[in-house]
Amino acid sequence: MRLRAAIAVACAIGIGIAAYLTYVHFAHVAPVCTTGGCEKVQKSKYAELAGVPVALLGLVAYVVLLALAFVRGINAAFAGVVVAFVGVAFSGYLLWAQLGPIGAICQWCLGNDLTIAVVAALYVVRMLSESDTPA
Amino acid sequence: MERNRLLLLAAAAAAAIVAVVVIVVVAGGGSSTTQPTTTQTTRGGGTEATRTFAGVAQHGATLGKASAPATMYVFEDPQCPYCRQWNIDTLPTVVDNYVRAGRVKLVYRGIQIIGANSIVGISAIYAAGLQGKAWQMAEALYERQGAENSGWITLGVVRQAAGEIHANVAKLVKDMKSDAVLTEMRASAGQAQSLGVQGTPTFGIQKPLGTIEQLQISSLDPSGFTPALDAALS
Repeated sequence: MRLRAAIAVACAIGIGIAAYLTYVHFAHVAPVCTTGGCEKVQKSKYAELAGVPVALLGLVAYVVLLALAFVRGINAAFAGVVVAFVGVAFSGYLLWAQLGPIGAICQWCLGNDLTIAVVAALYVVRMLSESDTPA
Repeated sequence: MERNRLLLLAAAAAAAIVAVVVIVVVAGGGSSTTQPTTTQTTRGGGTEATRTFAGVAQHGATLGKASAPATMYVFEDPQCPYCRQWNIDTLPTVVDNYVRAGRVKLVYRGIQIIGANSIVGISAIYAAGLQGKAWQMAEALYERQGAENSGWITLGVVRQAAGEIHANVAKLVKDMKSDAVLTEMRASAGQAQSLGVQGTPTFGIQKPLGTIEQLQISSLDPSGFTPALDAALS
C-alpha cells in the first residue's frame, strides 16, 4: 500500500511537470527557465511527435500510471512497468536530443527524466513484491 | 516464480526500447516540425530571405505598401525560438499572400522578453531599418539564433548578418546607438505595454481608424495563422 502511495505521489509530480509543459506549448509562452534553453527545447522539432506535443503524451502516460497505482494485482503492476519503461526509453531519447542535436537543456525535461525513472523503479519493485492474485 | 517475473521485466524493457525506436522512426521524431531546422540549413547566404522580401517596399520597420488598409504589428524578440519558427514557417506565406497583395503592411516591433542580449539584436534590426533592411536583418539573425541568454548576439554576429544582407555594415553598427533607433525601441516597448504583450511573438492588427487589437491565433504555422488573419481583416 505504501509502495503504491509512493508511485501515486511520483506520478502526481510527473503530471504537474507534463501539464505545465503542455500549457506552455499551447499557450505559446516561454517556460520559466533557469537553464536558459527551455524555450529552444520546447520549440525544437523534438517537442512534437507526429504533430502531438510530447508533453501531452507524457501527461497521458502519467495519468495512466497514476490510475494503475490504484489498481491492485500483478497485472496492473506489469502494465505499469511497461508504460513506465516506454516513458524511460522515450525520455532517454529526448535527453539525447537535448545534449546532441538541440544543444540546449531544459530543466523541466530533466525533472521529468528523474520522475519517470523513479516511477519505473517503483513499479519494478512493486512487480517483484506484488502478490499473484488481485486482492 | 521470481525468475518468471524477472524475465517479464526484461521482456518489458526490451519491448519498450523497440517500441520507442519504432515510434521515433515511423513518426519521424517530430517530423511535423522538422521544417525550421531543414530550412535553416538551406538558407545560408540569405538567399531565401532575399527571395521572401524581393520587390516588397520597406521603410524603416514597415514592410509593404504604405497604402495597405490594415497594419499588422509583429512583436518579436530575436532570441525567441517561437519568433524564429514563425519567421521561417509562416512569414513567407504572409508576405506572398497579404503584403504583396497590398492587403496588409507589417511593422516590426522588437521587444526584450528573453534577456539583455536581445537589445543588441533589436537595435541592429532597427539600425538595418534605416537602410530599408529591417526584416532581412531579423531573418539573418534568426538564422544564427543560439541558446537563450548565451550571449550569441555579438557585434561579430551583427556584422556578419549585416554583410549577408548587403547592408552598409559600418553605418549599421554606428546607427545601433542612434537616436532614431532608440526612439523606435522605446516606441516598441511602449506599444507592447499598452497592448498587454506578455510574450513573443505577439501580433497586433489595426484596421483603418481602428485601434490595435491582438490577433488570436491557434498556432504559428500557416494553417493556424492565416485563418485568424483572414478573420481579423474581414
